[in-house]
Amino acid sequence: MDPIMMEIFQNVMYGFEVALQPVHLMYCFFGVLLGTLVGVLPGLGPAAAIALLLPATFKVTPVAATIMLAGIYYGAMYGGSTTSILVNIPGEAASVVTCLDGYQMARKGRAGPALGISAFGSFIAGTLAVIALTFVGPPLSNLAIAFGPPEFFSLMIVGITVLTYLSSGSMIKALIMAGVGLILSGVGMDTISGKYRFTFHLRSLLDGIGIVPVAMGLFGISEVFLNLETEMKRDILSSRIKNLFPTLKDWADSIWSIIRGSILGFFLGIIPGGGAVVSSFASYAIEKKVSKHPEEFGKGAIQGVAGPEAANNAGAGGSFIPLLTLGIPANPVMAILLGALMIHGLQPGPMLIKNAPDLFWGTIVSMYIGNGMLLVLNLPLIPLWVKVLKVPYYLLYPLILLFCLIGAYSLENSAPDIIIMLIFGILGFLMKKFQYDGAPLILALVLGQKLETSFRRSLIMSHGDFSIFVSRPISLAFLITAFLLLLIPILTQRKKLSALRGD
Amino acid sequence: MGKADRTSGAFWFLFSLLLSYESYKLGLGTVRQPGPGFLFFWTSIIIAFLALTVFLTSLKKKARTESIKSVFVKSSLLKLLLVLSSLFIYALLIEWLGFLIVTLLLFLFLLGVIEKKNLGFTILVSLAVTALSYLIFEVGLESQLPKGPLEFLRF
Repeated sequence: MDPIMMEIFQNVMYGFEVALQPVHLMYCFFGVLLGTLVGVLPGLGPAAAIALLLPATFKVTPVAATIMLAGIYYGAMYGGSTTSILVNIPGEAASVVTCLDGYQMARKGRAGPALGISAFGSFIAGTLAVIALTFVGPPLSNLAIAFGPPEFFSLMIVGITVLTYLSSGSMIKALIMAGVGLILSGVGMDTISGKYRFTFHLRSLLDGIGIVPVAMGLFGISEVFLNLETEMKRDILSSRIKNLFPTLKDWADSIWSIIRGSILGFFLGIIPGGGAVVSSFASYAIEKKVSKHPEEFGKGAIQGVAGPEAANNAGAGGSFIPLLTLGIPANPVMAILLGALMIHGLQPGPMLIKNAPDLFWGTIVSMYIGNGMLLVLNLPLIPLWVKVLKVPYYLLYPLILLFCLIGAYSLENSAPDIIIMLIFGILGFLMKKFQYDGAPLILALVLGQKLETSFRRSLIMSHGDFSIFVSRPISLAFLITAFLLLLIPILTQRKKLSALRGD
Repeated sequence: MGKADRTSGAFWFLFSLLLSYESYKLGLGTVRQPGPGFLFFWTSIIIAFLALTVFLTSLKKKARTESIKSVFVKSSLLKLLLVLSSLFIYALLIEWLGFLIVTLLLFLFLLGVIEKKNLGFTILVSLAVTALSYLIFEVGLESQLPKGPLEFLRF
């Protein structure tokens, strides 16, 4: 056997050893179960869920914590489809597109096959993504060891640019949000000069602004406010859901959509700024384009469910690559996961695979197991999720608020963190009202410190010569990518994406 | 998004001016040795430029102007403000009164006053949620929630 393959094989075996430990299996199970629940519940996305469950992981090992938090993310992708299909309300953003055909299928009495194909599609895509992750992770990690401050700076610029490019609505507004996030990352002590910045003599700002209260505010609290403002109408299908197992014809119709969605989702997931949400929209657009019957899309085409559901799961898997190998989160959920790893004393990046192989391989292998658990869990538990959906919102929102309050407080046992969360809750609410996207803000907040340090170190290295960013080939390639994203008029495609999202 | 963009554009513009001033005060340093305010100063300038673009573009949209009021649902504004105030009060009181008391009060308020549920239901659910959340987070997950005057109970 090829020595590289042999090494990967040994590492995967080691990963199984870690992931199959009873305690890790238990946390994997909790993670996917909670993730599915979060995916089912509208108004609570995976970003907020990971943020508010983070304090609950403080008492466990970093491996168990990461396995659980990762499980919440990809579990939410599964759960999100259930509400899209049954209620026409996406449980989380990556399932928005599933509403288009999933709900129509349900209305035609085909809720069972819709739920079934989305679960199987998710399983196939999730597993394919994890296999790809196993092979792509180590070489990328080796490559990244050669990165210096200019390369990291340029890579982070690409990440932020991609996210602003892909974010919903105006790109100018997304760039403003990225800028605000960058400035927020500067609050607290400057690691190079030791000076305090933007603290306005407030003691609670001396240690900087934490990612978790900001994320909970922007994605959790603000969502509750929005839902409170407009009463959600839920038209849950009351008929019995039958035939969860898709027929041979359903399989024949959707297998290529699943494969295409898996590949597309994985690669879009790897790109910083990409991830599950973008993957699902892109997959829907492609499926509609390649279909012989595009007119059926929006009226209950099974490909319109299978493709995006596969893509969002593969995207979720793929987005672990930049985090685990480069230390760069691809999207807000990964940004919070990065924060979580740092709280646990780990520094995700090229050295993670060597410094914490149990975490790296244990988490990856746990995803194989978690995907299996989700398949077993999802189909039989659908009646339970439907019951969860029937919990009235007047009971649900106080509970979501309470979880956010406890989550924000328990991070540092500090009440000012609750205030910060609430302030960002108001900001998030206003941002949604004025059509500003929160994702670039949170990504820039997470990357900010590293970006600034890389920037300043690069200039110190080059004695103030800015050409250091363009004289090194990898850095130059990243910057050209960012530049193209900002300039090339692919605006037509962006407009199409926006139109599809209904902005 | 005519008037709404005008408002948000103006807000971010002023905000970025304030930040650029604060960054300048921190010290820009030199290009060879960038200071603590260097990156943020230039970021604020870029934000100012972008915000100005949002503002100026919105002026062109005069024809299909919307008022800011239409961005919000007026009928729910009071409910939102009340919920928000209760959360701020929760944050201010949690360390003084302890988790159990403030959580119970919060739920009594949200269910009884905001949602106008009947008294029996409100009290029952509030007590149940408070007790369960305490058991999960304090006893199960050892979150070290503040106990306030009930510290003597030691459970």
